[in-house]
Amino acid sequence: MPLNQDVLWYKDAIIYQVHVRTFNDSNGDGIGDFVGLEQKLPYLQELGINAIWLMPFFPSPLRDDGYDIADYHSVHSSYGTLEDFRKLLDSAHERGIRVIIEMVLNHTSDQHPWFQESRSSRDNPRRDWYVWSDTDNRYKGTRIIFLDTEKSNWAWDPVSRSYYWHRFFSHQPDLNYDNPAVREQMWEVMRFWLEMGVDAFRLDAVPYLVEREGTNCENLPETHAVLKELRRRLDEQFPGRMLLAEANQWPADLRPYFGDGDEFHMAFHFPLMPRMFMGVKLEDRKPIIEILQQTPEIPPTCQWSLFLRNHDELTLEMVTDMERDYMYDSYAGDKTMRLNLGIRRRLAPLLENDRRRIELMNGMLMSLPGTPIIYYGDEIGMGDNINLGDRNGVRTPMQWSGGWNGGFSTAEPDRLYAPLIQNPVYGYPAVNVVAQVGSEHSLLHWMRRIIDVRKSNVVFGRGSIEFLHPPNHRILAYVRRLGNEVVLVVNNLSGAAQAVELDLRGYKGHIPIEMSGKNIFPRVGDLPYLLTLGPYQFFWFRLRRI
Amino acid sequence: MKDLIISELSQALHDLQIAFAHYLPRLIVMLILAFVGWAIAYAARMILRSILRFIHFDRLSENAGASQLLAKAALPPASEVVSRFVFWIMLLGFILLGVNVLGILGLQEQVGKFFFFLPRLFVALFIVFVGLLAATFFARAALLAAVNANIPSPKVISLAVRSIIIVFVLSIAFEELGIAEQTMLVAFGIAFGALMLGLAIAFGIGGRELAQSFLERRFVRAKKEENEDELSPL
Amino acid sequence: MADETFLTDDFLRQLVNVGEVDILIGLPTHNNAKTIGSIVQTIQGGILRWFPRERAVIINADGGSHDGTPELITGVSIDDVRRDANLHALRTLHSISTRYGNSPIETVALRTILAAAELLQAKACVVMSPECSIESDSISKLLRPIRGDGFDFVTPIYRRHKFEGLLITNLIYPMTRALYGLRIREPYTRDFGFSGNFASDFLAQQSWDGGSNESGIELRLTLAAIAGHRRICQTFLGDREHIEHRGADLVPALRQTVGTLFSAMDADFKLWSATNGSQSVTTEGPDHEVLMEPLRINRKRLREMFASGVAELAGVFQQILSPPTLAELQRIASLNEAEFHYPADLWVRTVYEFAASYRKSVISRDHIIQSLAPLFRGRALTFLVENRNAAAEEIESNIESLCIEFERQKPFLVQMWKARE
Repeated sequence: MPLNQDVLWYKDAIIYQVHVRTFNDSNGDGIGDFVGLEQKLPYLQELGINAIWLMPFFPSPLRDDGYDIADYHSVHSSYGTLEDFRKLLDSAHERGIRVIIEMVLNHTSDQHPWFQESRSSRDNPRRDWYVWSDTDNRYKGTRIIFLDTEKSNWAWDPVSRSYYWHRFFSHQPDLNYDNPAVREQMWEVMRFWLEMGVDAFRLDAVPYLVEREGTNCENLPETHAVLKELRRRLDEQFPGRMLLAEANQWPADLRPYFGDGDEFHMAFHFPLMPRMFMGVKLEDRKPIIEILQQTPEIPPTCQWSLFLRNHDELTLEMVTDMERDYMYDSYAGDKTMRLNLGIRRRLAPLLENDRRRIELMNGMLMSLPGTPIIYYGDEIGMGDNINLGDRNGVRTPMQWSGGWNGGFSTAEPDRLYAPLIQNPVYGYPAVNVVAQVGSEHSLLHWMRRIIDVRKSNVVFGRGSIEFLHPPNHRILAYVRRLGNEVVLVVNNLSGAAQAVELDLRGYKGHIPIEMSGKNIFPRVGDLPYLLTLGPYQFFWFRLRRI
Repeated sequence: MKDLIISELSQALHDLQIAFAHYLPRLIVMLILAFVGWAIAYAARMILRSILRFIHFDRLSENAGASQLLAKAALPPASEVVSRFVFWIMLLGFILLGVNVLGILGLQEQVGKFFFFLPRLFVALFIVFVGLLAATFFARAALLAAVNANIPSPKVISLAVRSIIIVFVLSIAFEELGIAEQTMLVAFGIAFGALMLGLAIAFGIGGRELAQSFLERRFVRAKKEENEDELSPL
Repeated sequence: MADETFLTDDFLRQLVNVGEVDILIGLPTHNNAKTIGSIVQTIQGGILRWFPRERAVIINADGGSHDGTPELITGVSIDDVRRDANLHALRTLHSISTRYGNSPIETVALRTILAAAELLQAKACVVMSPECSIESDSISKLLRPIRGDGFDFVTPIYRRHKFEGLLITNLIYPMTRALYGLRIREPYTRDFGFSGNFASDFLAQQSWDGGSNESGIELRLTLAAIAGHRRICQTFLGDREHIEHRGADLVPALRQTVGTLFSAMDADFKLWSATNGSQSVTTEGPDHEVLMEPLRINRKRLREMFASGVAELAGVFQQILSPPTLAELQRIASLNEAEFHYPADLWVRTVYEFAASYRKSVISRDHIIQSLAPLFRGRALTFLVENRNAAAEEIESNIESLCIEFERQKPFLVQMWKARE
């Protein structure tokens, strides 16, 4: 299947987020690799995925899960070789699947040769590649991001006897983007991968590229200028490739990163995700509607990226204190589940393995405006292991079968990079791909079907959204529209059956056709349209005018 | 000659016998009716007395003020009076039925009129009774309202209300009975009209200030006396 | 199950949209446009502040307002409340309104609110009268005992002027206390809290056909709570400021309170005849507080109305009171202002004889109630004079003595009741 040649392919994408290490081990060393991932591409293709986002796989001391890069032009030996990666790229493209990789622009590992050179002496050619200072008084007032571990944004380097700037861990010195050589080099890095065939980059930590005295050193105009330059070159030399911004900010603050369609193509909509969980718990659409109504318009070529869970904790940074308390009490009663202002659990355990709620959340993910990202394993309802520290509980090996090591690896279980989930509810004998492929009513089959329906209509990826406000606050209803295509989505956020009367006067005369069963519903007339929904049920209707 | 007299006598006697035989059965029937009527009327009286006691008729008539009237006339209590009245009416009715059987034409007509008159009599009595009840009730209501609104001469007002109602009721009763209808109606009209005129004059001239303050109290809510605070009882 | 056919279709539809709630605030209104906006904002602020996670709804039962009161209620935006008080609203807070008739009838308003509470499965409910200003924490004080401590019925205690509410302090409170055995300071109240459970029971047990049931429903609620052995408590709500000064009409007040109490005594005879003494009720905050501002009362008029009442209504009183009692009253009526004194024991005896006569319906029951008015004025006058210069504690102790007197003569009432059986 050839790749979709549309320049705006990312608007129709269904993205699958996966770490190479966790997916499939081909050589029996207990760690997933590129070859293993390539072997599983048919599975992804059948699921309906048309883009995968790979977590960082560069050579790295792995002190920040691969986000501390020691070599931009290679891959970590645990995952294979560069050739393996190329083969993976080609196979993916053959199957119509695009590949998005990470690119950390802001900083490198302190093990990177550039930093080794830079710190060696003040006269080194690469001295100016990083941000050095004789005192730690510069850029005062800039907030510290990793509050738990770092006391300052400056670290003392004993080798060159001066301070270097780091917004993240002290072993991740920031690159100096005021240096044209740095900017040139980083473009070269990106071009290296683009030439290989990579389709898109997720650019990590973009707000922090440039520092200026007297500011908070975030989201500065100079930073945007750097990014715009990268984008310009990308469009010039590699049209059809995409840049995805990782910036954990309020939507209004995120808006500048889209520029006028001349900066990022996509950005994550962070504040929406916890509110979807909150809405289901409160059985009230209020949090969801409020955040989406506060979301600004973005340029027509740009797209939000939506997700339910990812490799990190479910972040509660972008909510009020009261909402955070409520989320903690509702979803993380056990305090060990809480981390860094978030909750480190997978989707299924958060929703108490309630199949209806899982479907509802995925339904919203697929029908709200934006490109959905599925975290690996959530399509079969994998569980988590909180006892693995930090966020490793949500990064356990993919469960392929009920057999040896869950089908992930032929190695001895002790050698696995992380233990498999074993408990009776979520353990690999109970939750695995083979079993779910065999059962037509499994979550996996359901996910395939809903992705199918989503892809059958471009309105989901590209259409506008208009919220309906039925008096029953437990119902979240909206209309997606693109040209003559109109889709009505009605979600019951409550665990009890609900009746709702929708004001569809604008669509009088249309016939609602339910999109998965294709059955027609009574035509819209003058009176409010009455619908009844079971617990957590949702409908997608195509409103057809015949 | 003697034979003629004897034959006339025996003829007369014979005629008498025939006439007697003609009427005797009817007479017997009439007596039987009277006897049966007495029995039924007596039973009815007993039953009615029990019913009236059961519904506390005596108390009702006390409320109506009828009991007081009866007491003044040295009559027994109301339920007793009513049941006896019903007894006599029923007995009379049966006797008249019996008389009817005798077939004496002129009497039959009168009997008919009597039975025709009877329902109207009951209705008239009922109206009077109810009217007395109503008069007492409304008179008391007017008295209480006047006392609580601090209107002077509440008893006068109460008496006026009672009188009007009684006169009104009596005139309806008489109209129902068909006795001196026009007279009663006119009399009532005059009495009522005079009373109203009198009240109007009283209000207009003598009760000017009273009327004024009364109206103020009713329609101008916010008015308070200057040297008084208003207290809520609740 | 409640008889919901008296709820309009439109209101039912609104209830469907609200769904199950934890808290329900009932607002019966009639032409309260001047004040209702700020009252609703205070209520919403209270909910956001103290019950942010609870599902809540404000139900307005309107008795035919012409001034747009219902629109004002449903139109109060929660954003104003949030901004002013810097509060965050986690949930949707519904405000719905229904018009139950063209004139205000308390019974129908309350029935509407109770029916809504049952249909929405509300756990805790509060009814607030829009005629008095409310403090921002009133809602919390009325709801917390129900939500947190499992009480079924919460009555308020207000800081009042020492001479306000004399009908309550001299009749309703002592008599309810003596009969039903609980010291509830404000048995007749327009602001109260109740559990959903109690609401359902009351709705089912009460006969809601019109007639004598048209007034006094608030007192009936209190008596039903006591008769049903519900957990009752009182809470101090602070000042009770009448925003709109309704007239001090004594006769309607008597109907609503004394009439209701006398009617209830029939049905509850078994309960109150067996009760001895009285117990105090759990109270949050002080159980009484008085304001001591001096007031100018027209004592002469009170005495005159008492005296003229006794004289003019002698015929009526003959049917109600015993001859000795009536003779005593006539004697007092002849006293001049300086000597005038309507002692407590005579007052209690008067009231009890009225109750017994009411039961027997010696004359029309409404007339019996009306005829109590001048006698009450006499008693009020005595109370005013006795406590003219008294301190708060002394007034309280006088009220307490009156209560004891009601309790002391109770056997006499029971005897009268049984005798007239």
